[in-house]
Amino acid sequence: MKKNNTLYAYLMSSPAMLVLTVLSVFPLLFILWYSLTDYYYLSTRPPQFVLFDNYIRLFRDRYFLQALGNTLRFTALAVLFEVTLGMMVALLVKSFRRGQEALRTVTLLPTLLPPVTVALVWQIMLSNNYGLINGLLGLFGLGPVSWLTDVNTAFYAILVIDIWQYTPFAFLLLYAAMQGIPQGQYEAAAIDGAGKWAQFRFVTLPNILHNVVMVTLLRIIDTFRLFDKVNILTKGGPANTTATITQYIYHNGVNMFKVGYASAASVVMTLIILILAAGYIRQNFRARERAARR
Amino acid sequence: MRYSLPGRLAKRLILALFLVWTLFPIYWMFSLAIREKGELFGALSLFPQSFSLEHFSDLFLAKSFGQSILNSLTVTFSALALSLAFGLCCAYILARARFRFKMKGAMLFWVLLLRILPPIAFALPLYILFSDAGLLSTKIPLILSHLLINIPFIVWFMITFFEALPEEVEESAAVDGASEQQLFVRIVLPQVLPGLTAVAILSFMTSWNEYLFSAIFVQSPRQFTIPLTLSTLNSEQELTQWGNVAAGGVLSLVPIALFVLFAQNFLIAGLSGGAVKE
Amino acid sequence: MKKALSLLLALVMVGALASSALAEQPAKLVIAARGGSHVDVINAVKAQFEQENNCAIEVLGLENPDLKQKIALDSRNSAGAYDIVMLDDPWMPEVTEAGMLLNLTQQGYTDDPDFVPTSLALGKAPYGTGDTFALPFSGNVTLLFYNADVLASANAEVPDSWQGALDIAKAVNGKDGKVGYVIRGQQGNPIVGDFMPVLWAFGGDVFDADWNVTVDSQEARDALNLYIQLLENGANYEKNDIVSSVADGKAAMSLGWPSWYISGKASTAGYAKIPGKVNADSPENPAGMIGNWLMGVPKNTQHPELAVKLLTFLTSAETQRAAAPSGAVPTRTSVFTDEALSQEYPFYATLLAATEASRERPRTPLWGDIENVFGIELSNAISGIKSVDDALMDAKAAIEDIVK
Repeated sequence: MKKNNTLYAYLMSSPAMLVLTVLSVFPLLFILWYSLTDYYYLSTRPPQFVLFDNYIRLFRDRYFLQALGNTLRFTALAVLFEVTLGMMVALLVKSFRRGQEALRTVTLLPTLLPPVTVALVWQIMLSNNYGLINGLLGLFGLGPVSWLTDVNTAFYAILVIDIWQYTPFAFLLLYAAMQGIPQGQYEAAAIDGAGKWAQFRFVTLPNILHNVVMVTLLRIIDTFRLFDKVNILTKGGPANTTATITQYIYHNGVNMFKVGYASAASVVMTLIILILAAGYIRQNFRARERAARR
Repeated sequence: MRYSLPGRLAKRLILALFLVWTLFPIYWMFSLAIREKGELFGALSLFPQSFSLEHFSDLFLAKSFGQSILNSLTVTFSALALSLAFGLCCAYILARARFRFKMKGAMLFWVLLLRILPPIAFALPLYILFSDAGLLSTKIPLILSHLLINIPFIVWFMITFFEALPEEVEESAAVDGASEQQLFVRIVLPQVLPGLTAVAILSFMTSWNEYLFSAIFVQSPRQFTIPLTLSTLNSEQELTQWGNVAAGGVLSLVPIALFVLFAQNFLIAGLSGGAVKE
Repeated sequence: MKKALSLLLALVMVGALASSALAEQPAKLVIAARGGSHVDVINAVKAQFEQENNCAIEVLGLENPDLKQKIALDSRNSAGAYDIVMLDDPWMPEVTEAGMLLNLTQQGYTDDPDFVPTSLALGKAPYGTGDTFALPFSGNVTLLFYNADVLASANAEVPDSWQGALDIAKAVNGKDGKVGYVIRGQQGNPIVGDFMPVLWAFGGDVFDADWNVTVDSQEARDALNLYIQLLENGANYEKNDIVSSVADGKAAMSLGWPSWYISGKASTAGYAKIPGKVNADSPENPAGMIGNWLMGVPKNTQHPELAVKLLTFLTSAETQRAAAPSGAVPTRTSVFTDEALSQEYPFYATLLAATEASRERPRTPLWGDIENVFGIELSNAISGIKSVDDALMDAKAAIEDIVK
């Protein structure tokens, strides 16, 4: 089977690569280049080269640093809770004899909903005047709490919404991984007198560790982009506690037309996510390349 | 291993709590959507006291929600068809060891990278590019930006499914004189159909739910997709009709609910497929 | 030979096409407008103009941020897609600085004294004194909204000073589960719009006449301290909850845009001009925030003369009278004081008085950025993250960084 199939390979792969190259290489070069200029979209004069001014300004801007800090903290907390809770639910569901299928399907709904819908549904429930949650608190003589405008609660309100939406995702992937563990390993452990916890610790966890890492990395990549919920629910407030990097870039670039400055922020964001996801990239890429060269 | 009775009860209780927690917000959205306007003022009861479809008719008559649905369907299906066509071919080449060429490693790396890079980094340059090309009044920018999201996803997932097929089948068919194109269309594609379905459903949903690119690229209300229309139901200028918002949310859920009902196994295969494979 | 012939043929065809397009197509004017009731208003009156001038008018209704983007983008093209654009008044400095609009004064337009002066001033560049670049299409100004029953239960009159408002809030708040004063304290545009009237009433502002940043002045500190006291004797809600709480008698007072409470002829709450005094003895400052929608003609329009004509038509008293039933707020004194109309819409008198005594947001092309950071620092202050002094000092530093 050693024909000359290179032409065929190029023909087949070129449409996809062409589209991706035009749509991704141009923008990346664009932000790299213009991040070094003072490009203001409405300006009547051509952009001036300003070297690293934008980057210096960016790291001196407390609101950017705050958005960066919020995003990192949000990502860490959301992913931690989503993966932990997802794991716990997976263990719980796995311990039932019947109904696993139905459970698996039904709990998927939040993950599949449009984030915009999710944000609006929660806004209805969190309203401080007639919202359901404050209504419930009222029954116990508590509240009302202005969940989305109180500086002590807004960040966590958005966090809870994100956890609500994506715990099922983590659950599903981890549950699927647990299905693949040979039953024999549990039986052997039980014969050795291992309790529930020991079984989890020495059988379940080592078997799905790789999947836990992958789920964690996938969630990090997606959570780091957080925008929809914040843009609809809080616009970054109160006291900038829910501002995220994507939202910061959106404000500067799309609302204020400061293309150069927003480009610099985009470059920084890209670099950070590359660092965070370096493990994911390395592992996936190596495995693929090995397979491809087999 | 058996659990004690209190243990079993506790487990049931925790599971019940988890289900209520997960499903209640969705129930609440439905229950608000079907109440009469008059019932939506003041404190609300847990169960609807009235039934009406006025919020839905409001959406279609006053907010041209029908147009939004049409726009969403057009964009989603165009993006889906193109990205599947492009992505499948590309994934097949990348998955097969017998295709060897210089750019292969770089292609693999680039596709993976695109899954990771933040969309906002692309949004601004593309916005200016599309504007200079005079495309902003069309659906093309949206469709192209969805290709940018969907193709890497499809390629990455489909590679996994292609790799699961032994290459030997193709080799023996090739000995019988089949061309590369025949191998791909007649032998390989039918076998990855389940995986293909799963990936198609997930890509559909990604497009259907997409908000960031839509918020930037779409200019005229006549081009609004469902997430955009939903977000404008809650604007600064006018009072928000929560019944309309809930009804819009319900409508946005329809295709997703259909997939969950009729294609759940594909869906789960897709979600737990390529993402966690080594 | 062949080549030349085909070239000639092509030229003839293009020429024929072009000339037929010129001959048969009446001019088409495109208006980029803010979506919703404004579009209905224009559509309702446009037929007359179309007939008289043999042209067709298309109205594009766009959401607020999209509208600005679209206008800005189109301004870079040599042949513009729009003949009239609708502009929120704080955008004017940005738009005129970038040279997007046709100078109406140079086109021979003379200012119409029938426009309320505070509205007309918005369309001039530089503000108030320069040439006219845009005309006020739809009026608006923030008002004080109150629940009459709640005020009555506290034996209070509608306040005309902020100290008075605070006293009422103190008297009402916490009694029978009632809320005193509701602020709109979300970060960004809401809190800035909600706080500016208080700041102005205290005699403060973001800039002084020489564009020095003055958000940390004594007046500003006093204003913010009072604002925080209002919050302590009330609540911080988003717009929908504000309106329902005041309308339902759960809360006593809030500021707001008229369209939230007033639909058609009736209002769901009492309304009055925003207090311009600190206390009963202090001087009165203009305090209501003006928020007009203006209309201008882009420089790159294909039909400058017709567009200017349409602009004057759309901002005429006749159009404003016809638009009143759709909920449009006039910008002309003669319409505000029209006897039949003001009987139909009893709030016109209050709106006119409030518009005449209104203030405009600072006229700088950087307002969007300034509003953003000012909003963050105000939010810091009302959340107790920073002291009033620190928040205002930080706001000053951040704003100075922007205008630098």
